[in-house]
Amino acid sequence: MKKILPTSNAIIAVISGTLVLLGYFFPGVFGSIQSVLIGWAIILAAFALLLGIFNLALVHWKKTKTAGSSKVYSIVLLISLFITIIVVSINGPTGSFSLWLFNTFQVPVEISLLAVLAIVLVYSAARLLTRKPKWYIVLFLVSVVVMLLGSVPLFLLGEVTPLILLRDWLAHVPAVAGARGLLLGVALGTVATGLRILLGVDRPYGG
Amino acid sequence: MTDIICPLCGKPNPSELEECKFCHAPLKAAGFIAPSDQEGDESQFISPVAAPDEIESPTIKPESATPLEQAIPDWLKDTEAGFLEGVESKPEQPTSEDISAQIESLINPPSVPDNTAQPAIDDDWLTNLLAEAGGEPLSLAPLEEQPGEQAEESNTEITEPYTETPSDEEKVLPSTQIEKPDWLTGLEAASTIKLAGEIIPGEPTAIEPGIVEPEAETGLNQMDVPDWIGQADAVESPAGQKEPEPSIAPAELPSWLEALRPDETAAPTEPVEDLSAADIVTAGPLVGLKGVISARPSAIRARKPPTYSIKLRVTDEQRARVEMMEALLADEQNPKPVPSQPILTSRNIFRLVIAAVLILPIVWMIITASQRILPPQPGSIPGVVDFTEQIQKLPAGAPVLLAFDYEAGFSGEMNPAVSTLISQLMIKNVYMTLVATYPSGPALAESIIKTGAFSEGIQGPYTNYTDLGYIPGGTLGLRGLANSPMAVLPYSLDEVNVWASAPLDTVSTINDFAAVIVLTNDPDTARSWIEQVGVVLMEDSTPLLIVTSSQAEPLIRPYYQAYPAQVQGMVAGLAGGLAYGRTVGIVRQNGVWDAFSIAITVSALIIIVGSIIGVVMKMPASDKMKESKE
Repeated sequence: MKKILPTSNAIIAVISGTLVLLGYFFPGVFGSIQSVLIGWAIILAAFALLLGIFNLALVHWKKTKTAGSSKVYSIVLLISLFITIIVVSINGPTGSFSLWLFNTFQVPVEISLLAVLAIVLVYSAARLLTRKPKWYIVLFLVSVVVMLLGSVPLFLLGEVTPLILLRDWLAHVPAVAGARGLLLGVALGTVATGLRILLGVDRPYGG
Repeated sequence: MTDIICPLCGKPNPSELEECKFCHAPLKAAGFIAPSDQEGDESQFISPVAAPDEIESPTIKPESATPLEQAIPDWLKDTEAGFLEGVESKPEQPTSEDISAQIESLINPPSVPDNTAQPAIDDDWLTNLLAEAGGEPLSLAPLEEQPGEQAEESNTEITEPYTETPSDEEKVLPSTQIEKPDWLTGLEAASTIKLAGEIIPGEPTAIEPGIVEPEAETGLNQMDVPDWIGQADAVESPAGQKEPEPSIAPAELPSWLEALRPDETAAPTEPVEDLSAADIVTAGPLVGLKGVISARPSAIRARKPPTYSIKLRVTDEQRARVEMMEALLADEQNPKPVPSQPILTSRNIFRLVIAAVLILPIVWMIITASQRILPPQPGSIPGVVDFTEQIQKLPAGAPVLLAFDYEAGFSGEMNPAVSTLISQLMIKNVYMTLVATYPSGPALAESIIKTGAFSEGIQGPYTNYTDLGYIPGGTLGLRGLANSPMAVLPYSLDEVNVWASAPLDTVSTINDFAAVIVLTNDPDTARSWIEQVGVVLMEDSTPLLIVTSSQAEPLIRPYYQAYPAQVQGMVAGLAGGLAYGRTVGIVRQNGVWDAFSIAITVSALIIIVGSIIGVVMKMPASDKMKESKE
């Protein structure tokens, strides 16, 4: 059985991947098969999300049994999870109580985190040159200042056209070039990984 | 031809030569004449005792001497002659009675003192010497095997006890009174033991009656006696046991052998080395001896392999280090308390100053609803005009797929554009089909819809929409949505099959929607929508519109600026949202744009000033370091 399962897993994975890939090139022939297989995968992903939530609750449940002050956060998380599940189960995901919970807790908390992040980034940038004034640090700080000043009309100064043009050039040429380069590398790696899985060389599903 | 063997080099020389032709050594004086082929076989040469008459004649004539006899040096000849004279000087020839007595003594040997055994030993030793000189040792074969009377007599002479004629010194003192040295006594004892140990039953001729030890008597009695011995015993000497045993005369040692003896008058010296503290041999053939070198070298002595302890031999310092390491590892598991720092530090003060400088202008601008900053113009923001045109093209009541895929934390940046969009869609009375690839998307969408329902120009709550909820699977879910929306999201969050009623009953593929509008702050999410869904939408020219954040705008703009465009309209960031609002005539002058502008300006100033201060403060420190290094 131990020898049969890895082989059968590899066969299933290779055939499924090949059919989904062929669905992109020949949608008329393999489109329906691709839709069925993707539907199965979506259901599995939904169950994976539920499994992740259950695992999160279990981990923090174990943490509540350990000594220390960190278990307070786990208790808060479990209570929040329990209340949210109860409210959403009763009131529905788009009910008034559910939206109240969402707009009262989740949205302000996430916005506050981003606001704190903005302040920390400004503080860190201001102290960046106090440590090691290297040339690339200076270049980074200059780019940050140009992007900030070129994004909006300056207070009491209005729009500074050279800064706006320089900001557009930095955002759409060097930044996009670097991002696209990264994406191309990721895409090539994804293609190579996909081919290895299709050929059965890599078997992340075991075997 | 007779050759003379050179006594020096051993090579044959002709007999007429006076000296060796090889080494020039004189040959006549001491040379050895090699036997010629005509003179007889080797047996005659080798075995001088083969002819009994030669033994009987004490004098050896030069003309009848064998080559071996010629090679014997004079001193050895004298010795042999003396020995033979001693033998012939025996008073009488052995008779049958003597033989019987000897046999009887073999069976019941009398106890003799140790010193009487010494002549027999000398006799044996001399016999062996003669055998070596003559080539073949004297064989003491049984009597039956000797042919003729002479052989019988000769054997009788050999086998009978030999009486050694005492020397002059020994004649002065009786043999029993002669004080023997220790080495000779030990040699006698060893020889006796040896003879006693090597006696073989069935060979009585090799046994001398005088050397049989008392311990071996019982053994001899119990031995199987040959038949001929028993017959002789029974016939010839029935009462021979009663007769007294003739005493064994001491052997006459040759002069050269006497010369080899150590000086008996000198007292044996004590061992020079003190052996009291010497080790006793505990193994090997020399076991029990003291002060000797062991026969078994210690290097090859088999010994038990040493056992090594598996415990580490560590010093106290090493043990202390190990304990320290264990303490460090154990301490890693324990959470360390955060060291309490003073509240008023320069770093904390600097942080508070930055927060205050950032927050206070923003709050002031929002409170005062400042409008000092000119809002962004639609023409200066790429994609806003096209986005507005695509929205305006939407037919009334047409189904539109609206994806809420942004985080709630980006609501401040995204909501101006999203609110304007929702208002425009509500004004157009399009059927909004809400989906999300983020778990919080449905709640966010529902919240925005309900908030916009009460915006300007909307009469009553807006109900011309459906929320299909969350699309699991990420990119895969988007691909499934592009292939068959009905299969991926069959029911709404209200558990209603919206695909069976209007207006979604006419939608079988994603191209049946009038437009697909994606609201996202993540460039990867936008790229997934473009790559998985946009390709399908391009088949029927269904517009794909994107509302995104400022950080994702540079990565999405290439899809918008491409030809053919994969994104037909785009609104990016707060500036794009305000520009889109100005385009559609909705001007939200609540001070957000002024607050955003002043916050950006202050942030840039803080960074610039902080960097300058840092460089200025760093320079003296670096100068001090250089001075200290120098």
